[in-house]
Amino acid sequence: MHPFGDLSAYLDGALSSEARASVQAHLDTCALCRTRLAELRGTAQLIAKLPMPVPSRSLVPRVAVPFWLAPLRTFSTFASGAAIFLFLALAVLSSFPLAQSAGTAAAPAAAPAASQPSAFAVSGTPAAQSSPDISLSAPSVAPVVSDNRGAARASATPSDAAKEVGRRDQSGSSSNNVAADQPRLQAAAPQPAPFAFLLSPWLWLVVAVAFGALSIIVGRRLRST
Amino acid sequence: MRPEPGGASDALLDRARAGDARAFEQLALEIERPLYRHAARMLGHDDAEDCVQDALLSAWKSMASFEGTSFRAWVFRIVTNRALDRLRSRKRHPELPLDPPAENDDSASWAEPVATGHELADLAADREALRVVEDALANIPADQRAALLLRDVEGFAYEEIATITSTEIGTVKSRIHRGRLAVRNILISRGWKGSTG
Repeated sequence: MHPFGDLSAYLDGALSSEARASVQAHLDTCALCRTRLAELRGTAQLIAKLPMPVPSRSLVPRVAVPFWLAPLRTFSTFASGAAIFLFLALAVLSSFPLAQSAGTAAAPAAAPAASQPSAFAVSGTPAAQSSPDISLSAPSVAPVVSDNRGAARASATPSDAAKEVGRRDQSGSSSNNVAADQPRLQAAAPQPAPFAFLLSPWLWLVVAVAFGALSIIVGRRLRST
Repeated sequence: MRPEPGGASDALLDRARAGDARAFEQLALEIERPLYRHAARMLGHDDAEDCVQDALLSAWKSMASFEGTSFRAWVFRIVTNRALDRLRSRKRHPELPLDPPAENDDSASWAEPVATGHELADLAADREALRVVEDALANIPADQRAALLLRDVEGFAYEEIATITSTEIGTVKSRIHRGRLAVRNILISRGWKGSTG
């Protein structure tokens, strides 16, 4: 009887010494079993020579990495993106308020220029005489506005305007006027909001760069493990 | 055939048992590809990566309780069990392929080679032949496929395969022989006459 069922185990050296000797004795006399044994050996060799498939990614879980590292990378990546968005948005938005403030500042500055000639015309004072007032009030907007109010009143009633200009001329040193205006200017100046610095686009650019660097560093750490 | 890595891995194994995550990762890296190869031939490429990753994570979680000496055999056991579980789960879904009919299990059926064809020994360098072997492996029962791959590809001894598959050595012997015979018969049916040895 052919020991077909033992041929694979014989091939693999998995038989007991007695069983192996028995199969060996049979193989010495049986050509069919030798053929079957050769077929099984050839089959095993073919299976062993199959190409090795390669995984598309690393399959080893990164247990050596702190569990919070991957979420930190994700967070820093998103935070960097959000900061870039804020930087761009604030940079764009900040250009509009600048244009508006430039427009509002230009309007009062133009108003005295238009109204002063009428006041000067009333008093008949040469323009050169009023130049100290103009030059002193030029550095700040508030004196210009107050002068503008004065000029507006002067233009309302020519006699009052003449008195106003006369008071100015009599008041002596114009530096006294400026000194008197200083407390009013300080009181009228708008107080900066406590979190106004958050509206600076450059702050968000710095934040974006910081989070981007953190994301890269954490990513390298994750890849190196 | 492929012995367990030597002293360096023994030291790594001790460190991994003690909770050294880097040591575990090094051990896992050494067998990552063989594990994937085994899982891919058991399950196909789609599920193999998830299967291996799950198995390695499970191994890490149970590392402290591992008392054996062969880390490789232990992880192969986890992967094989998970692969067989997935295959059983597939069988519960009628649209997925089932194991082939039981006629391939008949160890007594030796198909006769046709007159013209290639010898098995000549097939190793033939890519088409290797594809036929892969197809043949995919069409034998999963338990035979697992035993055959563990023996012919991974080089485990019958005793190790019995441990990995939680069966008796006699069962392993039967599965390997039936699996080889089934693959041989499929090759013969494709026109190869087999080796005259």
